[in-house]
Amino acid sequence: MTEAVPPDLRTSAPRIASLRLATGEGIALRIVVAVILSLVSSAALVALSGHNPLAAFVALAKGAAGSPHQIGVALNRATPYLLAGSGVAFCFRAGVINIGAEGQIAVGGLGAAAVALHWPHFAPWLVVPASLIGAALFGALWSGIAAAIHLGRRVHEVLVTLLLNFVGLLLVQEALAGPLGQFGAGFLQSPLMPRGAWLWKLPGLDAHIGFIFALVAAAALSVTLWRTPFGFAIRVAGRSRHAAAYAGFSISRLTWAAMLLSGALAGLAGGVEVLGIHHRLIEGFSLGFGFKAVTVALLGAVEPLAVAPAALFVGLLEAGSLSMQRQIGVPSALVVVIEGLTMLFILAATVRRA
Amino acid sequence: MTALLEMRGIVRTFGAVRANDGVDLTLDGGEILGLLGENGSGKSTLMKVLFGLVAPDAGSIVLRGQPLVGHRPAGAMARGVAMIHQHFMLVDAMTVVENVMLGWPEAGRILRRREMAKRVREESLRYGLGLDPDALIADLPLGRRQRVEILKAVLRDAELLILDEPTSNLAPSEVAELLSILRRLRAEGKGIVFITHKLPEVLEVCDRVVVLRLGRVAGRARVGDVTRADLATMMVGRDVTTPHAPRIAPQGAIRLSVDRLAGRSLGPLSFEIRAGEVLGVAGVDGNGQLELVETLAGLRPASEGSIRLDGHELTRLAVAERVGAGLAYMPADRGQTALVKSMSVAENLMLRDSRRSPFASGAFLSSASIAREANALMRAYDIRAPAPETSAARLSGGNQQKIVVARELDRKPAALVAHQPAWGLDPGATRFVIDQTLALREAGAAILYVSSELEEVLDISDRIAVMADGRFLGIRPRAEADLAEIGLWMSGRAA
Amino acid sequence: MIEFLEAAIRIATPLMLAALGGILSERAGVFAVGLEGMMLMGAFGGAVGAWATGSALAGLALAIVCGAAIGLVVAIVAVGYRADHMVTGLTANILAAGLTAYLMRVLSGGGRPIAIHLTPLPPWPIPGLAQIPMVGPLLFVHPPLTYLAILGCFALAFFLGRTQAGLTLRAAGESPETVLASGAEPLRVRMLAVTACGGIAGIGGAVLSLQQVGTFTDGMTSGRGYLALASLIVARWNPFAAAIACLAFGAAEAFELRMEEFGLPVSSYIVQMAPYLIALAVLAVLGRASRMPAAIGQPLPWDQ
Repeated sequence: MTEAVPPDLRTSAPRIASLRLATGEGIALRIVVAVILSLVSSAALVALSGHNPLAAFVALAKGAAGSPHQIGVALNRATPYLLAGSGVAFCFRAGVINIGAEGQIAVGGLGAAAVALHWPHFAPWLVVPASLIGAALFGALWSGIAAAIHLGRRVHEVLVTLLLNFVGLLLVQEALAGPLGQFGAGFLQSPLMPRGAWLWKLPGLDAHIGFIFALVAAAALSVTLWRTPFGFAIRVAGRSRHAAAYAGFSISRLTWAAMLLSGALAGLAGGVEVLGIHHRLIEGFSLGFGFKAVTVALLGAVEPLAVAPAALFVGLLEAGSLSMQRQIGVPSALVVVIEGLTMLFILAATVRRA
Repeated sequence: MTALLEMRGIVRTFGAVRANDGVDLTLDGGEILGLLGENGSGKSTLMKVLFGLVAPDAGSIVLRGQPLVGHRPAGAMARGVAMIHQHFMLVDAMTVVENVMLGWPEAGRILRRREMAKRVREESLRYGLGLDPDALIADLPLGRRQRVEILKAVLRDAELLILDEPTSNLAPSEVAELLSILRRLRAEGKGIVFITHKLPEVLEVCDRVVVLRLGRVAGRARVGDVTRADLATMMVGRDVTTPHAPRIAPQGAIRLSVDRLAGRSLGPLSFEIRAGEVLGVAGVDGNGQLELVETLAGLRPASEGSIRLDGHELTRLAVAERVGAGLAYMPADRGQTALVKSMSVAENLMLRDSRRSPFASGAFLSSASIAREANALMRAYDIRAPAPETSAARLSGGNQQKIVVARELDRKPAALVAHQPAWGLDPGATRFVIDQTLALREAGAAILYVSSELEEVLDISDRIAVMADGRFLGIRPRAEADLAEIGLWMSGRAA
Repeated sequence: MIEFLEAAIRIATPLMLAALGGILSERAGVFAVGLEGMMLMGAFGGAVGAWATGSALAGLALAIVCGAAIGLVVAIVAVGYRADHMVTGLTANILAAGLTAYLMRVLSGGGRPIAIHLTPLPPWPIPGLAQIPMVGPLLFVHPPLTYLAILGCFALAFFLGRTQAGLTLRAAGESPETVLASGAEPLRVRMLAVTACGGIAGIGGAVLSLQQVGTFTDGMTSGRGYLALASLIVARWNPFAAAIACLAFGAAEAFELRMEEFGLPVSSYIVQMAPYLIALAVLAVLGRASRMPAAIGQPLPWDQ
């Protein structure tokens, strides 16, 4: 009763729920328990198919990290999740639910390909940085459109970013059917990029340096969030819009910043995929990354730095999945099930009990 | 004759707090019982136990001779107990008749809307409620919404009505209408429990009164046998009738000057506050107080008029700039606006100043300075918390408000706008807030103190304004304040 | 022209069913972001059920069960555990995608997906009405699930507006405290609504596999669930308006399919963008969704 607020001051919910995550005590433990629970349920599913769960998991682990090559593959797989995921995590912290990574990654890849394929012959060492910048800019543009509609017309950002995903994917297809496409190929793809535009590799592993970018980006976001006044403003805005206005912060400026940042990171992820893995723009190269990045952001309890182990976890799973399928015969789709179950258990485990 | 209601030995604990500590209560039909007590005395909890919203840890409830055990609201309602909450349990987007039909089996699985609308009109006529079945709740003023709650109770053949602080949001004329409706209900043989902390109402309409203090029964009486002073003493446990020594009207320079300020649902209004003066604003909640304070603070735009502080024009400045100009603001919404409960004490203390030193140097925050400042403020303002890093949610309401007070007052503002600063606080915390406000007054600031509690406004102000429909109806020095005139002003808005 | 409209109705059918389920969920206060996964599970259940038993009815029943199952998962996590509705829905969609792909391969025992080849459900002309010139072939010669979708609109509108249960459900989306004070349990109401949403959206998925394509392929819903979500929001959570919105999207896709015939020089991909752009445009014009269920997305307090 003593906490009651005078009736006309109880805020009607102008903000749809921002994430109310528990922090601090026990959360690491709860996440671990969630992971264990999901592994147990997945084991049951494996047994259902008549295979030995333990053998399947061993094959999965070996396929993921059994050799430097495999680890490299896992790092590659983790990179887009880490890049896009830390951006999404930052948005969540600002109270903005940006689920447009699918489209932003695709458009980012488009940007990278456009730059790389049209780069003039002088200054070849600039191709990669220029293409990556192009990717980031395109991604930021895409999220910027969403931010403009959201802030300008007061449409919920989930809807705008969601719908723009599909438009972005179609835009890439359109570009591949037209100016960026390779005529005569059976499917939609761009011409192969010149060697100079291939992303450099990490020595020893078969991974490209994208993972380093991703780690640096995540660390930078984390430092920004916790050690700068801007980051403080972001965090306040994520907890309470009213308090942020009261504190003198501009919600619209903060939203712009968060959306542009995360769009740029997602675009960068797309660019990294195009320059580092496929070396060309391929239709559908980004499918599923964006939505998974949203849930990876959650696995990392929307803390950009903690998204790294989460992204690595998902990367390892996916890297090992094909191996598991080949050796044991368990369909690689099991890995997606594990991801989904893990995220659901973690969601249930990490809600703040206010 | 068995009483309508007998509650014996009710005990209920919340965490460390014994909200009800062995309470007995009886009620007959055709009687209005006043349940009196301050905030935190346990009166709301007791009624929640009766209604089934909360289960008692011990004790018994007997309703017309039959025990009432382990029930939820549905069970209580089936036995003829109805509760009219302080915050109405109505769906704003639905009509009167839809709200009546909700959860009422008699309306049918397939709703018999026309039949129910007819009954709404009939009962509304019978008790003088004046309700239109197809009116949208969102369009009704608060006084009328309350009557929808009463209508619901009456339609469900409630024998026992519990009214929880029913007059807290009503203008004096609406209060008078409510009391006469209660008398009609009593004449029909209903038993009514009237929960309040307002003594005059108890004396006016109740037959008997039970006073709770700190979870226990502090006194029982027939209303004819006690005076207001007796009841006040029972409620608070000590003699409260010490009036404040009258203060000499301040002669300082004008610091805060508001000229024809207007906005949505606000104004135009004009006033001036001098150095060392408190201008209190009384009035029923919802008459533009929120609009006024937020416009002054910069959270809402003004459509016309000007605000000047020490000669500086504030009207076009953003919130942060107004803070810099010396304007402090304590919002009424402690949980969502004044504080971010899920953040730490230290973070809340720097909420409005995060970009300036000592908290920030250059582009980065200085955690050492933040901790140092926080510790200093916690000591100076007696904020009881284990550490600056403790989450503000773990603090009591009083300590949370101390954070707000510390933050706003420590920067030695030129002017303070305070909105319901003592809402929901126990007497000790209320005293602290009032003392700090008066200290700021002594230091020469201009203070605008907005509260719906008339007693509080009368207590602290040098001059008093009454707000209704977004305007000031009049400003009087405290010494000349006439309660009758003020009451009339407060009902300036038609019911 | 008649064939064009007929095609529009056909294409709109799965969207309509998903939108109806989504309206149930959203008006009870839970965002229906999981529609995509619910449809996918339904498509899977429909195909597998019909394949295993030879009966389309059994397929339909399994579709409802599968859709409701993922609906139950969302209900438990988002409503029971008070997790964020959006993220729970997205995660459920991921789970559904993985689960359906996995089970398709496991059930065949051989690692490749089960080869399902069903005859799509034929249209059921309604005797008498189907003969009406012009209107007859347009409205009364549809496969059974399409009739179900149309009837569903009426049924949902009746349920929401004229029954005690529907009233309670709407109240749960506007003001859960009021529902509690009226004697019902908002928790139960929301969980039931979300599970039912799953079942109904599952029927929508079954339309794809049983009535249109005759098999199940990974991810065959291709974003239709999200489009249904957009349509119900554009329609302000009203069943009939949602049907019209879905019809508009269906018409857009039907137009795109017929574009080669019309020989227009517009790229197929641009036309495919049309539904999403239309939805965005309508949302932008509508601006702030003023009559959103007031308590949508808000977690229930822990003591409710």
